Amino acid sequence: MTVTSIVIFLLFLFAFGGFVIYDLLTAKRHKEVYRVKSTVTAYLMLLPSVALAFLFILLPILYSLGYAFTDYYLLQPDKIGFVFLDNFAEIFEEISTKGMLYNAIINTLTFVVGVVPLQIGLALLLALFVNRPGIGSKIFKVCFFAPVVISLSVTAFLWEQILAPGPGGLLNSMLSVFGVAPHDWLRDPATAMPCIIVLSAWQGCGYQMLIFLSGLSNIRKDLYEAASLDGANAWHKFWNVTWVGLRSTFVYILITVFIGACRIMTQPMLMTGYMEHTVTLSYYMYNSGYTERLVGESSAVALLMTIFIGGITLMQRRLFREK
Amino acid sequence: MKKALISIVSFLLMLTMLFGMIACGPTETEGEAGATDTEGNIIVKIMFHVDKSSTEGQAYQKRVNAFNAAYKDQKIKAQAIFKARSAGASGYETELQNNQTEGTLADIITFDAPNTAAYATSGLLYDISSLISADEQSKFYSLNKYNGKLYGIPIQESSAGFFYNKKIFRDAGINVDGITAENPWTLEDFKDVCAKLKAHGVTAVDMRIDATKDETAPYLLYPFIYANGGSFVSEDGYTANGYYNSANTAKGFQFIKDLISAGYTSYAIGSTDFFTGKVGMYLSSGWTIPDLDNKYREYFSSRDDWGLLPYPKGTEAASATGSWSYAITNNHHTDKTASLELLKWMTSAESSRAITDATGMIPARKDAVKDYAPGSPEYTLMKQLELSGTERPVTVAYPTFSTTFNQIIFGLDNGNVTDLLNSATKTLQDAIDKIKERG
Repeated sequence: MTVTSIVIFLLFLFAFGGFVIYDLLTAKRHKEVYRVKSTVTAYLMLLPSVALAFLFILLPILYSLGYAFTDYYLLQPDKIGFVFLDNFAEIFEEISTKGMLYNAIINTLTFVVGVVPLQIGLALLLALFVNRPGIGSKIFKVCFFAPVVISLSVTAFLWEQILAPGPGGLLNSMLSVFGVAPHDWLRDPATAMPCIIVLSAWQGCGYQMLIFLSGLSNIRKDLYEAASLDGANAWHKFWNVTWVGLRSTFVYILITVFIGACRIMTQPMLMTGYMEHTVTLSYYMYNSGYTERLVGESSAVALLMTIFIGGITLMQRRLFREK
Repeated sequence: MKKALISIVSFLLMLTMLFGMIACGPTETEGEAGATDTEGNIIVKIMFHVDKSSTEGQAYQKRVNAFNAAYKDQKIKAQAIFKARSAGASGYETELQNNQTEGTLADIITFDAPNTAAYATSGLLYDISSLISADEQSKFYSLNKYNGKLYGIPIQESSAGFFYNKKIFRDAGINVDGITAENPWTLEDFKDVCAKLKAHGVTAVDMRIDATKDETAPYLLYPFIYANGGSFVSEDGYTANGYYNSANTAKGFQFIKDLISAGYTSYAIGSTDFFTGKVGMYLSSGWTIPDLDNKYREYFSSRDDWGLLPYPKGTEAASATGSWSYAITNNHHTDKTASLELLKWMTSAESSRAITDATGMIPARKDAVKDYAPGSPEYTLMKQLELSGTERPVTVAYPTFSTTFNQIIFGLDNGNVTDLLNSATKTLQDAIDKIKERG
């Protein structure tokens, strides 16, 4: 594998060199002598970051793409065989027989459909709430952003204590005041994923709140004054001024939250383990590739997931593009 | 223009050479037995799964240092590598797999016993059957064998049992004085005790059925399946169908389900409920002994307040066992003489005692076990290990077995045992077949 990596990297270097030489020759042909020096400088400055991006981003992606068509078993790296589309056939068989992968897809879709509007909606509400001068708003900003800096492992542990089954659990003991019987939130298929959605939205919305805040700061104040003069109420001002001004920010947030939601793994892994009602696509891939050591199959799922996320993201961009 | 081209090409060549040098690694004199340092010592690398600064890590380092002092004249030098496992054992295993892929596998590694079959089949472990004498092998409680070949020697042993609160037992009128590892109670006795505890108004037993995110539940609960005459896979480890979903295996899981249904145990028991006097019994391994000795003094001021009962016996007697082991790897060093010397040193009675003194576990060697007082928790664990210790199923797809076992336990209260077992069997058989196909 090391030799293959070196060969691929050398090919990359030669391709990069080819680009530089082509650019220089073009400049010479067009007698743009002044461009030569700046071109060389630009490419040399670009090289370290391009090389690192190639080594740590593109190369693993290329490998994963290739593994999707092999029977790579993690404990036998020297016995990788090409199996063409066998992994994909197995994937479709597992989906058709409603196996674990089917559950992973359903749970991931449930999570995405639940968390994207909740997290973005919460972030927008919080941004509107703290978008006013004063010490209070600064304190709220810090409070709302605080969960973002807490690691997901800690967040999951905290919420496990909140959702602990039995009368001793924080949520259960609070609900018992109203006569509600203790509930096992994370074991019940009806409540486990909603709980994970809520905690994920709570954990992540502070970051999107900051982005919305920066979007809000770009909206000119005179637009609100003009709207007031036209007799617009608060809702009209929000819909016709704020929302319009936040449109491009919203598209960015929608795409990033969507991609992040599709990759959910840590919360179910730490809170429930590998169970039918909470397994997600990323968790399935991790389990398949690392626990069961079937890298080929795991890579095939990763490839399909990448195509799916990429496709939806492109659709979102097209749907929300500026007219 | 020409100057610019020359400088670019030179720069790219320099980068290529630099990359090549990094990829090739440091220049070391490599021999068949291992790398050789400048003083002519053969370097034997040994990789441990714990942090160097931990008590266990320090114990390993001391034994490695002692080896280096003892083998100075033989020119063998051991070099300890510590890769603390994270996220269960998977982080350490990933490191092993990466090293294998890169060809930088240490000469000796530590590994979790249930991985023996998978590691042996994949060629990661070296067959040491002919290198360790039968007499030496007989000194260990268990060995890491697969298909009749010896691949690993345990560092230490583990066993588990039911810790119980003596005050609660007294108050509930339960007498367990006659129950010992040599004379274990039956599954029916166990249920009777649970019923009395429940009637007394306490949760009878924390069976750890909530511990299904890692290896805890499989490790602690699999003996109940064996106790009912059940099994998980065939002897060669390649068939789950007919074993994992057999009637006796179902009986074992049904026993646990019955405990849940009767309200003797539940998924909602808090992790400290036993330690704070709310639960009568607690299923756990030897590592709970220091907790009971040193923490929770308000509830357990001395050993007079708690005791340890063995696993109940069904048609068979079975108890949990298995821990981490040493193995010589199948790396590029073909001469294993130096590695074997280090392996023998690390598994000697002296090393076994030194390491278990640090970890509180049971020594892997019978001749390293201390003279525990009969009736003490340590004696119960050691005796139980000797009399009924049964290893977890040996199969190339052990991680899948562990996952499916957790899923069965997770779904026991609402699910049908037969359905759960059939689903688990299919998943495990598929995983075994896939690995088998890969050779």
